[in-house]
Amino acid sequence: MLKIENLHVRVAGKEILRGLSLEVNAGEVHAIMGPNGAGKSTLGNVLAGREGYEVTKGSVTYNGKNLLELEPEQRAAEGVFLAFQYPVEIPGVNNTYFLRAALNAQRKHRGESELDSMQFLKQVREKIKVMQISDELLHRAVNEGFSGGEKKRNEIFQMALLEPRLAILDETDSGLDIDALKQVAQGVNALRSPERAFIVVTHYQRLLDYIVPDFVHVLADGRIVESGDKTLALKLEEHGYAWVGERGAVAEARA
Amino acid sequence: MSSPFVQAMVAAAAAARLPGSGIAWLDAARRESLDAFAAAGLPPARGVEAWKYTALRTLEQRRYALGDAQAGARAVAPETWTLPGVDGPRMVFVNGTFRADLSALDALPAGLTLVPLSRALAEDAEPLRFFLTRMFRASGDAFARLNAALAADGAVLRVAAGARIAAPVHIVHVGAPTEAEIAWHARCLVELGEGAELSLVEHHAAAGAAPHFGNLLSDVVLRDRARLALTVLQDADAGATLFRRAEMRLGADATATLHALELGGALVRHEVHASLDGDRARFDTRGVFALRGRQHVDTRLSVEHRGRDTAGDALWRGIADERARGVFQGAIVVAPGADGADAKLSNKNLLLSPQAEIDTKPVLEIYADEVKAAHGATVGQLDERSLFYLRSRGIGAAEARSLLTYAFCRAALDSLSNAALAEHLGTRLLARLPIRGED
Amino acid sequence: MATERSDIEQQIRTAVPSGNASVDEALNRRYAAGFVTDIETESLPPGLSEDIVRALSALKHEPEWMTEWRLAAYRQWLTMTSPEWAKVKLGPIDFQAISYYAAPKKKPKSLDEVDPKLLETYEKLGVPLHERAKLAGVAVDVVFDSVSVATTAQQELAKAGVIFCSMSEAIRSHPELVRKYIGTVVPQGDNFFAALNSAVFSDGSFVFIPKGVRCPMELSTYFRINAGHTGQFERTLIIAEEGSHVSYLEGCTAPMRDENQLHAAVVELVALERAQIKYSTVQNWYPGDENGVGGIYNFVTKRGECRGDDSKICWTQVETGSAITWKYPSCVLRGDRSVGEFYSVALTHHYQQADTGTKMIHLGRNTKSKIVSKGISAGKSSNSYRGLVKVEKNAEGARNYTQCDSLLIGKQCGAHTFPYMEVKNPTAIVEHEATTSKISDDQMFYCRSRGIGEEDAVSMIVDGFCKQVFRELPMEFAVEAKKLLEVSLEGAVG
Repeated sequence: MLKIENLHVRVAGKEILRGLSLEVNAGEVHAIMGPNGAGKSTLGNVLAGREGYEVTKGSVTYNGKNLLELEPEQRAAEGVFLAFQYPVEIPGVNNTYFLRAALNAQRKHRGESELDSMQFLKQVREKIKVMQISDELLHRAVNEGFSGGEKKRNEIFQMALLEPRLAILDETDSGLDIDALKQVAQGVNALRSPERAFIVVTHYQRLLDYIVPDFVHVLADGRIVESGDKTLALKLEEHGYAWVGERGAVAEARA
Repeated sequence: MSSPFVQAMVAAAAAARLPGSGIAWLDAARRESLDAFAAAGLPPARGVEAWKYTALRTLEQRRYALGDAQAGARAVAPETWTLPGVDGPRMVFVNGTFRADLSALDALPAGLTLVPLSRALAEDAEPLRFFLTRMFRASGDAFARLNAALAADGAVLRVAAGARIAAPVHIVHVGAPTEAEIAWHARCLVELGEGAELSLVEHHAAAGAAPHFGNLLSDVVLRDRARLALTVLQDADAGATLFRRAEMRLGADATATLHALELGGALVRHEVHASLDGDRARFDTRGVFALRGRQHVDTRLSVEHRGRDTAGDALWRGIADERARGVFQGAIVVAPGADGADAKLSNKNLLLSPQAEIDTKPVLEIYADEVKAAHGATVGQLDERSLFYLRSRGIGAAEARSLLTYAFCRAALDSLSNAALAEHLGTRLLARLPIRGED
Repeated sequence: MATERSDIEQQIRTAVPSGNASVDEALNRRYAAGFVTDIETESLPPGLSEDIVRALSALKHEPEWMTEWRLAAYRQWLTMTSPEWAKVKLGPIDFQAISYYAAPKKKPKSLDEVDPKLLETYEKLGVPLHERAKLAGVAVDVVFDSVSVATTAQQELAKAGVIFCSMSEAIRSHPELVRKYIGTVVPQGDNFFAALNSAVFSDGSFVFIPKGVRCPMELSTYFRINAGHTGQFERTLIIAEEGSHVSYLEGCTAPMRDENQLHAAVVELVALERAQIKYSTVQNWYPGDENGVGGIYNFVTKRGECRGDDSKICWTQVETGSAITWKYPSCVLRGDRSVGEFYSVALTHHYQQADTGTKMIHLGRNTKSKIVSKGISAGKSSNSYRGLVKVEKNAEGARNYTQCDSLLIGKQCGAHTFPYMEVKNPTAIVEHEATTSKISDDQMFYCRSRGIGEEDAVSMIVDGFCKQVFRELPMEFAVEAKKLLEVSLEGAVG
């Protein structure tokens, strides 16, 4: 589904990703772990198409298409979804209205009919139960005045509604207490399916207790320095990122 | 038909012998300024935006004598100027005239030059040519023109590049009693070289009843990376008329802070115009006026962001009691291309009497889009909930009121790093606040 | 009328190529209401003199007092000069080059006689005229160039005792009411343009809601400038007697012409005790083209007086048109506990200039006012909020809250805020807050990453920005306003 090859990315003149390669197939859950500044968030932003991220080398192929050529909204329509680490507030724009506009824009792109508000509300009702989102959040402006936990749950709720094929969760666990974390994980697990892939970016192993990954990758100094199964996350927990730092240095020396 | 004020000033100019006269370029500049002043006079009562809230009708009718011939001999007690925390070099002017005997200019720290304008003109006027030949052609600059024509003294202060002057420099303008009503015009030049640091206190004080007309024009230049902490204490005589205008230019990475406390004067206009020319220049301002009687104090602040990533934070407070009128006009201007500007302005006022008036006009003029600019202004009373809270804790109504009023104003002095001076200004402020027994 | 602009502006215009594909694309878009209707009109020769004022008054068969009233205004106007304090740039206006009266030649007696071409025009504009109007529950008065051509639903309104007719008709049929109230809110000599209007106003709407009546439908007027070389000087007067309610809507369009046309209207509102007047405007006069050529000069004096206790006047405006807008719908809060509100969205694009805001004059006790202004600047436009909140000595307990937000789209526009607060009563509370920002890259990316295209994301964010104001508009106007904003912003973002 997604193939990243030797990806180099510069942000504000500084090289952040330095030869990252990763392959993700439908149905898989990949966890990307790494210390602060390793380039975890950069990866999510590059995949979603944020401006200011300059790809200097490498390629990203998504379902046979060159992902990097697409505008952010085209990527979304193709089924790429980024759950933001810091979801932005958009004053005055009603959350429900926003979601319907997004969903219909995507459906239109795919040649599907747009949903009227009744059909849309029906879908919302179904998903809202899963995410345990209060009705009231739907009537507020997008993320405005939401608590940290509400923002993150709103992201997962959006994911549930937009039904992406590739979902990237950028530090969705940061700033959540254990109950909120469980709720978010529950929402994600409910969406796991053979057609859908996840990239879960996180600093801590804790989230992976609830979203059990098929693969764990360690990102350091802009590339993946170690890959393994879920036990790798436990190893990291035990040894800390300093251990990875050494590995990164070794990889650097080899390169 | 020019007014008595203008006539008297023009006539006095003809008779005056100003320091530096005979220097061709200076004579020409003074002449041109005087002609422009005589032709345009004071701003008209209506139709000039900058003078919307300050009427000059009464001033127009007054005739002041130019300068005080006895200024050099007027007795002024040191208590007039003494300020805690301000013990560096000192320059004292009495009725606009430099007083070497009251000043403390011996053993200036390395890198600091501080001489009276009169002496600088006598010794070597050339370095001042750029400043002194500036013309104030823009409308409404009547007092700047008048100053350019008639300034007889003032301070010339320079800090060499890289020099850090530890002790605050104190410049005092004292109004002392005279037989006739007099006018004085002083010109100050402050220049900080690259990376220079200075703390400066501009102090207006009175040694007895001195209902003079004072006119102070300052040019302040901060080269790249220079830092200036400027504090103004205005506690002039209750009958004084005082016009002050400071024009500031800040180079790249230069930082200036201004703390102003306005207490005295009958009719006061305080203008600060800053231009943040260099990238990352920063100018923070804090000010309070606490007015009573028939005081009229008009503060006009404008900060123009020209470089990139410049910043300015303005926090001003005002109180008007009895029949006083407080005016605040604060403008944030972001020039085209001044991306990254971060500008804030807050102006809050308390109106304490049915005869008092507050006029406030915060302005935003924005020509760039990568900016954060916001302002807020209020006119009102003390927060009833806070009052109730204090009273429910056993504090009497009057005391609670003055406590809250003090806290309201004091916010503007909090960031003053000279703790002793901040404390003193707080005390002076507190002494001016009304203590009310009713409720 | 002068079509040239100042030298400086010419220079800016030639010096700054758009260099932006989206902006260039917008050059090809057209002002949707910019057609000219081919109707025979009769007009007075251009120029202004006492004779023209008399001729105008005679054409309209006005009584003597009205003619004299106009002449008094004209004489005052001669002594006045055009105001210069607003932050707008314009060349001198040649008032002798304007024709002060233009009317369709064929005067309709009833709606069925209205020139079908005219009806077509309004259909194009989406005005719910004719039977559609009644079905929609809207009574429409239409002012075409200078005269009112049709008023619908008159009978239904008459049953309720409401008078809703053209100003010309009101002067003929209800002279006592007109004479009692005209000029009492905006006196003849109030300002330069109000004086001009008082001398030459040609038509406008007149509304009278009697005591205790809740007007059974929304009243609506559409203004359109059609003829070339004319100015439009309508005068509207709304009187709401004790305890009555009325909601009035006003829409404006004009054809595309490369000259600047003058629109100098006066609107006076009088709210007596417990009366409520809601006045909503969607102003879409031709803004000029993308190079700043042509467009309407919209210099309007709108003022309402809350004359009675507990009365309320609410102005809501969505301003997207005109080359230059200069208007400050104001409230004089004379009655105790009276309330004034002002909600505004002003959007400027290309070379448009807007200097708009409000005045809230607190005279009565416990009066309240609220101001919400949203300015959106795009292209090379200039958009200023200018507002005055004045609390006079006796306005015990007066309250004001003002919120002014500006949104910048692009690097060559200006957004300015000039609030004035003058407070003379120590029990008053006046609060003002203003912010300036642009649509953040983060907001754009967030919307786009959810699949929403760039232009849709912009209009969604702008719509959110204006929400507080749109909420105040009657439903059908809110929809129109939103669409108008979208159209006006097309090509603004690159």
